[in-house]
Amino acid sequence: MRDVSFGQYYPTGSVIHRLDPRAKVIFSIIFMVTIFFVSSYAGYAVVALFLWSVCLISRIPLRNVLKSVKAIIFIMIFTAIINIFFYDSGKVLFEWWRIKITLGGIDFAIKMALRISLLVMGTSLLSFTTTPMELTDAIESLLSPLKLIKVPVHDIALIMSIALRFIPGLMDETDKIMMAQKARGAEIDTGGLIKKVKAMLPVLIPLFVSAIRRADELADALDARCYNATERRTKMKLLKLTWKDAVAFLFVAVFAALIFLDKYLIGGADQYIVGFFKGLFA
Amino acid sequence: MAIPAIKLENVSFSYPMNDGEEQKAVNGVSLEIEEGSFVALVGHNGSGKSTLAKLLNGLLTPTAGRVLVYGADTADDKKIFEVRSSVGMVFQNPDNQMIATNVEDDIAFGPENLGVPREEIIKRVDWALEKVGMSEFRHATPFKMSGGQKQRLAIAGVLAIRPRVMVLDESTAMLDPKGREEVMNVVKQLNREEKMTVVHITHYMDEALDADRLIVMNDGKVVLDGKPSEVFAEHKLLTAIKLDVPCVTRLAVTLAEAGIAVDPRITDEEAFVDSLCRLL
Amino acid sequence: MQIVVKDVNYTYSAKTPFERQALKGVNLTINEGDFLGIIGHTGSGKSTFIMHLNGLFKLQSGEIDVFDIKLVPDKKNKSDLRRLRGTVGMVFQYPEYQLFEDTVEKDVAFGPKNMGLDDAEVKRRVKRAIGLVGLDYDDIKDRAPFELSGGQKRRVAIAGIIAMQPKVLILDEPTAGLDPYGKEQILSLITHLKKECSPTVIVISHDVDEITRFASRIVVFNDGKVMFDLPMNELFRHADELHAVGLEIPKAVRIAKKLRERGVELEGDIVSLNDLLRAIVKAYNKKHIDKTVDENLSFSTFDFNADANFCAKNGEGKE
Repeated sequence: MRDVSFGQYYPTGSVIHRLDPRAKVIFSIIFMVTIFFVSSYAGYAVVALFLWSVCLISRIPLRNVLKSVKAIIFIMIFTAIINIFFYDSGKVLFEWWRIKITLGGIDFAIKMALRISLLVMGTSLLSFTTTPMELTDAIESLLSPLKLIKVPVHDIALIMSIALRFIPGLMDETDKIMMAQKARGAEIDTGGLIKKVKAMLPVLIPLFVSAIRRADELADALDARCYNATERRTKMKLLKLTWKDAVAFLFVAVFAALIFLDKYLIGGADQYIVGFFKGLFA
Repeated sequence: MAIPAIKLENVSFSYPMNDGEEQKAVNGVSLEIEEGSFVALVGHNGSGKSTLAKLLNGLLTPTAGRVLVYGADTADDKKIFEVRSSVGMVFQNPDNQMIATNVEDDIAFGPENLGVPREEIIKRVDWALEKVGMSEFRHATPFKMSGGQKQRLAIAGVLAIRPRVMVLDESTAMLDPKGREEVMNVVKQLNREEKMTVVHITHYMDEALDADRLIVMNDGKVVLDGKPSEVFAEHKLLTAIKLDVPCVTRLAVTLAEAGIAVDPRITDEEAFVDSLCRLL
Repeated sequence: MQIVVKDVNYTYSAKTPFERQALKGVNLTINEGDFLGIIGHTGSGKSTFIMHLNGLFKLQSGEIDVFDIKLVPDKKNKSDLRRLRGTVGMVFQYPEYQLFEDTVEKDVAFGPKNMGLDDAEVKRRVKRAIGLVGLDYDDIKDRAPFELSGGQKRRVAIAGIIAMQPKVLILDEPTAGLDPYGKEQILSLITHLKKECSPTVIVISHDVDEITRFASRIVVFNDGKVMFDLPMNELFRHADELHAVGLEIPKAVRIAKKLRERGVELEGDIVSLNDLLRAIVKAYNKKHIDKTVDENLSFSTFDFNADANFCAKNGEGKE
């Protein structure tokens, strides 16, 4: 049947793949937070440079990372248009009836689009370099302080990992059922929305039935392997931070520092760059 | 006197039906399964054999009678994990019993649940993988493996719990001949070398040939119970309850019934060839 | 009328780390009326191959001609595809998992309805198909597929394909997961369907003993290629080569070989267990002239097997 990779995991065995997943999750959070503080195009250039270097080190083809943006292109265009029309600041470029397009609006829209796409590329890099299992392990470990207030952290992590573990199987199953119904003349990808939904029933119903059957069998398998036998569950794999994670942290810290420097000390490098070019031509 | 690993005392089990009625899947079964023995359990679909399997490790508890695993009652909530760690169970679909996306994580799942110390878990994972001949797959993901390989991993996952009995609930039904052979070899070896008690539920009669004992179920009851050759001698009864005898036995029976003096109880291919050579 | 397959290649997940070539230059001609068995171990490309025959996989390279419907890469032609799906009926592995309607009748009608037939014709076909697979139409038509037994479900699923009246019927592991009785029922059903419904039948199976029961020609897939394409009686002369690629040989062939090695003279080609029985009786009669044994023995397990009409008689095959 079709080959389905786990999540988006793209194995290359690079140093980034081998970092502690907890470190990677924390770095990703730092990255996401930092990106909201970017204030200038120069800052975006720094972000892009950062991502590009992560790509190079992890040996993930840039093409794959860019592809992840394709999925959200609609949201991006939509937010950009909204911003162009409703953000009112700076020099007016075009005005008709109530619609006003300003230089500030365009500037803001471009920055917004950049922010969203860089955010998506960053998170996709996390999923390219980390298996879903490692991710759940990391989340379980990072959330473990919550155990003190009786949050069933392990159960949550197990549910996540089982869900992830079954996604490829269910996708495979969807594919098989879809083919079987196509073989019976079903036209699944044609027609309008309602027709499409109706046409999906021959696929969805068997899929639900199969998911329930699987869940049933898995529940038996979990029980048979003594799930919930003891409160004091042990773990074979210990996550361990190494010097590699420390180096990676330094890398991320330099990146974040550059962005904050730009925003709070320089106040956006763009003005100086623009000033520099102005001075050059004056 | 051999020690019974599992003892069933007049066990019945009924599934509740939608209309309030009950459907009896297992009906008054009494059995003792000896420690270290290899028991094959056969019956057509719906004969109650899978329900019986689930009664053996407390996944289901009897609606009447009781099941004792090394003396522990499976209906006793306090002893349920003792029961489940003594009776390991491998299921039919290799895809629906794997919890993790990575081989070693999956095998470690059982002992982790039992709170086994970390160093011991690592040892058990090594040992279990070696027993099923899958050591080189330790860091692999099971997704791309063949059915036979996946099922061997499922066995390893059960072995890591260190059970004394292994129940295989139609674990070969979805495999190709090669996968079936792989799994059967592993199971036979465990029985021989580790003295593991094996209850193998199947509808392939050929897989029951080497068992110490063959139990035949029909309609929730045990109808035949004995050495495989004794059971196969009842080929008329077996056919009547929608079961078959091994291929060689069927050949011998057909020839014997036509008037050629072949022993209809033959189960071994070599013996069949031998006896024909004397006649032809 | 023929199915002609020329130089077909197929690669999964091209240009990713998971890339795998499943078909490597497959050439094959299947004639109308063939009873074809396809064997090969898991991953040999046999399933990928048959999916091409009714357009479920887009052709990547090469050419396929199914009864004058021509498939070439990058061609999109809906009417061709629809015609193709009506010509080639495909019964997948575990087909009962595709049942989705709330009654058996509606589920079987799904295919014919998609073909755009009128209600009367759909109903006629559904009734016929349910009868052909050995189920009682009046008894079963309003029942929910999910409450049937495993064997019945599978037969309902097969009826769903038969109702489209395909000229070519493809079955992928039709007996997988069934108990011996269910298996025998499906096997005799296949022979029956070839006679009554689809003159060309292709069966994929792991079980060579099963295939020797009916197929007249066998294609062996190995590593994405056609390794052998031979009449049944010739194929198993290549026992060693088959063994080398992990394929079993039929029990009858193995036993006959052992007997011959021990000096027993058996006449003719022996492939199926029936062949073996008859050859043994022949040899016996030659030696024991005083007592003659009926040569027409058959290796039958369950009664309905000898009674080829079991499928035609409505209700006889009920479980």
